[in-house]
Amino acid sequence: VTELSDLGLPQDAMRRLAEMRPGQSTSLFTSDLSVNEFLLVREAGFRPLGLVLGSSIYHVGFQARSWSKNQELDRLSAAMYHARELAMTRMEAEADALGADGIVAVRLEIEFKDFGNDIAEFIAIGTAVKGDEPPASGGSWRNNKRQPFTSDLSGQDFWTLIQAGYAPLGMVMGTCVYHIAHQRFWQSMNNLGQNVEIPQFTEALYDARELAMSRMQSEAEQLAAEGIVGVQLRSQSHRWGGHTTEFFAIGTAVRSLRDDHVIAKPQLVLPLTD
Amino acid sequence: VPDWDGRGLPPVAAARVARAQASGVRTSLLSAPAAASLQSVGLDPVGEVMGCIVEQIGWQGSLGCGATFGFGSGFGSPPVPAIGSRESRWAGMRPYADAIRRGYATALARLQLEVQALGADGVVGITLSVSRLGGAREFVALGTAVRARSTVRPARPFTTDLPGSEVAKLMQAGWVPAAMLVAFDVVIKHDDWATTGQAGSWSNTEVSGYTELTQHARALVRADVEQQAARLGADGFVSSAITLNVSEVEVGEGHRDHLAEVSVTGTAVAHFGAASPVGRHAKRPTERKTQSFTVLPLAGVTPRRGRDL
Repeated sequence: VTELSDLGLPQDAMRRLAEMRPGQSTSLFTSDLSVNEFLLVREAGFRPLGLVLGSSIYHVGFQARSWSKNQELDRLSAAMYHARELAMTRMEAEADALGADGIVAVRLEIEFKDFGNDIAEFIAIGTAVKGDEPPASGGSWRNNKRQPFTSDLSGQDFWTLIQAGYAPLGMVMGTCVYHIAHQRFWQSMNNLGQNVEIPQFTEALYDARELAMSRMQSEAEQLAAEGIVGVQLRSQSHRWGGHTTEFFAIGTAVRSLRDDHVIAKPQLVLPLTD
Repeated sequence: VPDWDGRGLPPVAAARVARAQASGVRTSLLSAPAAASLQSVGLDPVGEVMGCIVEQIGWQGSLGCGATFGFGSGFGSPPVPAIGSRESRWAGMRPYADAIRRGYATALARLQLEVQALGADGVVGITLSVSRLGGAREFVALGTAVRARSTVRPARPFTTDLPGSEVAKLMQAGWVPAAMLVAFDVVIKHDDWATTGQAGSWSNTEVSGYTELTQHARALVRADVEQQAARLGADGFVSSAITLNVSEVEVGEGHRDHLAEVSVTGTAVAHFGAASPVGRHAKRPTERKTQSFTVLPLAGVTPRRGRDL
C-alpha cells in the first residue's frame, strides 16, 4: 500500500472539487464500465469516449413446423440474425460518429416483450474507446472493414488480451433456430420405462450446434481473424416452447499484434474475502 | 412534535444529526473492506446519512400521445413521433414524470443537508430506492458521509453510488467522484397504422415505431445526464444502471399507445493531479495510471460482469 501523507491525495482530490466550475469541462466522456474495467481500459492505453448503444424492436415472424421432423427454422434464424445485426450496426454507427477505435465490454441481449405477440427487443450496449497510441506493430486499431472493433470481453479480459499481444477485431456470432422432432408414438411406447438414448434428439442438438458454430467461424474468417476467444454457446428457447430452440454462438475474433504472447508470470495471492 | 413545513430537515432528523455531531461515536454503513480502503485514500467515515420523501402521485397528466384522435391513424398518414415528457407542452405524463424526478432530487438534496450539517465532505455508497406505500411512493437515499484529511473543502459535498472500495480505487488513479446523477423520463408513442401493421405481420420485420420509442427514450436520458455532468464541470460520467420499461396503455376505444419509462443512474467523476508547484491552476494534470499485475487467486474468486442494463 502506498504511503500517503495526510495532506497528499485527499487534499488534491478535494481541491479539484473545490475548483469545479459549471460548464468548464471540455471533453466529457460517458461510460458503462465498472470502476475496475474503467481503470484497466485506461491502463491498457485506451480512453473511454462514450456509452454507445443500438437497439431494435423486432417482430419475429411465424413459421410452420413439421411435428415429426428435425429441421432448421430458417425464417426464425433469419429474424434473430437480422435484428441483432440492426442493433449492432446502430451501436457501431454511434461509435463511428464519436471517432472511436473500438467498443469494449459489449452486452448483446434479447428481451421478449409482454406487449404484442412475438415482439422482442434486441439491444447492444458498450463503451466506445480510443487508443492513446496506434498499435506498436503499425496500422490501426480498427478492423479490416475499417469499422471500430467490437468486443464482448470484460475490461479485465480486454486488458489481459492486450498484454498478451492480441487485439480484438469484432464480435462474431452464429445462430440457428432448430425444431427438434417429437417422438413417434410407437417409439415412445417402446422406450417407456427404459433408460435409453433418443438418437434423433442427440442428432438434432448436434446438427443445430454445428450450424451455429460454423456460421460464427465463417464470420471470423471474413475478418481475417487468428482465432476466437471467450466463446459462449447458449441455447435459449425464448417463447417458442420446448421443441424449438435457438442455438447461439458468440465470441470475440482476435488478431495477433506481435510474435511473442507471453504475459508476466501470475503472482499467487490468497484473497482474504470470498 | 412541532409541525414541519417541508423545508430543511424534519425535526427528528435534525435532532439525530445534532446528536451525531455531539457524540464521538462514528457510525457507518460501510463493509470492513470498504472502510479500510477509504482509510487508504484519506477518507474517514463520519456517520450514516439519509434523505427521504414520500410523495402522493395522484394526477399523472392526460394519458395519450398528444395526437388528436384520427390524426396519424389513417393509412398512409405521416407517423406521429415519440414524445418525451419535457418536449411538448401537450406531452402526456408530464406531471407524473416531474413528480418522479422531484422525488429523486429531493431525497438526494435532503441527504446533502445531513452531510453538510455533519461537516462532512462527501457521501459514498448511496443506495437510492423507491417503494410504494399504498398510492404514495417513498424515495429513500442512504449512504455513509466521509470527511477528507484535507485543509481544502469542496464547495458542495460529493455524492456517489459507488461503494467505498471502488471510490478508493478511483482516487488512487486520480479520479474523484463529483456527484451522483439520476435522469428519468417518460416517453409516449402513438400506435399508428405502420406500427400496427408491422407488429401484426406474419413475416420478420422490425417494428420501427417501437424501436423509435426505445431509442428516443434512452437518447433523452443519456443527453440529460451528460448535460447535468457538464453543468457540474465534471470530466466524465460512469453509469451504473440504465433501466427501460415499456407498457401498453389503452387511451380510448381501439386506440393504443406505448409508454416507455426510462432512467439512468451513475456518478459524475472529475480528474485530478498532484498540486503543481507553479501556480494553482496547473494545465491538464497528468494521469497516474494504475499498475496492475497478474495474480492467480488461491481461493475461488472469479470476477463477474453482472449489472443491470
